[in-house]
Amino acid sequence: MEILFYVFATVLVGAAIGVITARNPVHSVLYLVLAFFNSAVLWLLLEAEFLAIVLVLVYVGAVMVLFLFVVMMLDVNVESVKSGFTRYAPVGVLVMVIIAVELAQVIWVRHMGLRGVGELTPMPADYNNTRELGLLLYTEYFYAFELAAVILLVAIVAAISLTMRRRPGLKAQDIARQVGVRREDRVKLVKMDAEERQ
Amino acid sequence: MAIWESIPEQFQMVLIILAQVLAVTIVVTLCVAYLTLAERKVIGYIQNRIGPNRVGPKGLLQPFADVIKLLLKEVVVPSSANRFLFVIAPLLSITPALAAWAVMPLFPGFTLANINAGLLYVLALTSLGVYGVILAGWASNSKYAFLGAMRSAAQIVAYEIAMGFALVAVVMASGSLNLGEIVEAQAGGAGLLNWFWLPLFPLFVVYFISGVAETNRAPFDVAEGESEIVAGFHVEYSGVTFAIFFLAEYANMILISALTAVFFLGGWLSPFQGLFGEDSVLGAPGLFWFALKTAFFLFCFLWFRATFPRYRYDQIMRLGWKIFIPVTIVWIFVLGAMIAFQVPPWFA
Amino acid sequence: MLENYLPILIFLLVGAGLGGVLLLLGFLLGRGGKDAQKLSPYECGFEAFEDSRMKFDVRYYLVAILFIIFDLEIAFLFPWAVALDGLGMFGFLTMAVFLLLLVVGFIYEWKKGALEWD
Repeated sequence: MEILFYVFATVLVGAAIGVITARNPVHSVLYLVLAFFNSAVLWLLLEAEFLAIVLVLVYVGAVMVLFLFVVMMLDVNVESVKSGFTRYAPVGVLVMVIIAVELAQVIWVRHMGLRGVGELTPMPADYNNTRELGLLLYTEYFYAFELAAVILLVAIVAAISLTMRRRPGLKAQDIARQVGVRREDRVKLVKMDAEERQ
Repeated sequence: MAIWESIPEQFQMVLIILAQVLAVTIVVTLCVAYLTLAERKVIGYIQNRIGPNRVGPKGLLQPFADVIKLLLKEVVVPSSANRFLFVIAPLLSITPALAAWAVMPLFPGFTLANINAGLLYVLALTSLGVYGVILAGWASNSKYAFLGAMRSAAQIVAYEIAMGFALVAVVMASGSLNLGEIVEAQAGGAGLLNWFWLPLFPLFVVYFISGVAETNRAPFDVAEGESEIVAGFHVEYSGVTFAIFFLAEYANMILISALTAVFFLGGWLSPFQGLFGEDSVLGAPGLFWFALKTAFFLFCFLWFRATFPRYRYDQIMRLGWKIFIPVTIVWIFVLGAMIAFQVPPWFA
Repeated sequence: MLENYLPILIFLLVGAGLGGVLLLLGFLLGRGGKDAQKLSPYECGFEAFEDSRMKFDVRYYLVAILFIIFDLEIAFLFPWAVALDGLGMFGFLTMAVFLLLLVVGFIYEWKKGALEWD
């Protein structure tokens, strides 16, 4: 198990480095996909079955598809992005330092034995991670859960108000009207007497 | 035997699994080969032709002739293509199409990987199929390919939501994400009336049609749309790289058919379970019933292709977002009520 | 639990391996010469017009974003559906509120015309 962890962790770190060093943005996105896969495997090794598969389902199957759409279709000009490097570098360094300090703290806290993570005991084969999660999420943590629903609602509204553009002069089909047409609206049968042959 | 026993026990296990995996892969690949022949034959008869009949008796060796032909053809990589992604894209579409079979309950008590989150795994893998299409379209550096890829991506994405909601209902009804347990939850004295297709009927229809749309098959084949964008995302692919896309498409068709059989038609259960009893030939569950149900849905795939004209793109998007998603959400509420009131025979 | 995942790992490798072997065979067995015309992108026999990487309608991004949101909602529904029998009335109502919010969002989308594809 140890070996598996180090194999996937190494690939994960390698892929993460690939994300920021690849020249082609599409390659960067694909490295990120690889990174997500490996983190999913790491979660699986912790027996967090549901989270691992949902990570693949949501991040790889949905979020990264959006990323691909963006980098493929926006045709990002790599040169113009690079020109801002020195300007944004201080902020980047600041973020890096903050993350480094936070990471150091986590490790330090662990060594203080304050909230050490105990040895993982392997679960039996019929252990159902998803069910355990469900039993907690919708009862004990229902407040956070409903909050998530509200955030998703806000996301829907935000996405629409940011990107919706109505192009004028478009002719669209109104299918409800089309289906709702009755014969009487379109066809008129006129009864007339037979006429004499001319 | 002596060699076998000299292998450490863990490796023995790995080798047994490897043999099983290879067996399933070979069977699926053979099914793909004969599905292509069946398609040409069935559509041929629907159009009053007899289809391929030259290679082997009644044309039965035709798929092998096709494979050999495609292997011997030149692989053309366009000069302006991104070489690496161009070659890797077919692999990205075949791997998920095959690997999803790992959790398929083939006959009573047998699943290669009996995981608890089997249904989620299948959903995750089918959502990966879109990568092969997008990358193929982009790496080809051709307008037709790119257009086809974008169409297909937006379409797959729309139908995946309807599919997801339909599967949520299946999980509600069976109380499990394990495909084998989903099949067992449909067992009962009423035979085929006990299966989920009846209480979940709208979702059963939605799921199968979404499956047809997900695999980019007619009448939802705007991604290929030969009369508009030639062949869509694989227009630049030739020889074996094309063959792999072809293999993936048909493997996905078989997968969707098998999954529909598992989720809604009771997988390996016999339709006459209550009528003849589990010990009789017709009443016993088994691989035969599973294969029969899968074959039925595969026939529907071919039947659709021979019957329906292609949807227009805006109609496809309308069907996915404005019809299927509302139907599935409403039916989840209905199903919730059915479960709460313990409607027999399914939820008693 | 993890031992159940071993066949999946092997199956992924076999699936990729099958594709890889086929590709290798194709590249080894395939014959034919290459020339500039053959290797140029296909465009009905014309020389390719302009760059094939074009900008796309913003609608595609909107569809992708809405897809992510709905995909997340589905991910939230699965644990609930599995644990349904153990949740009782309270869990039922929790999800009813969640779905109601989702439906509100969906109606908003519909009325705003975000699902229109014209």
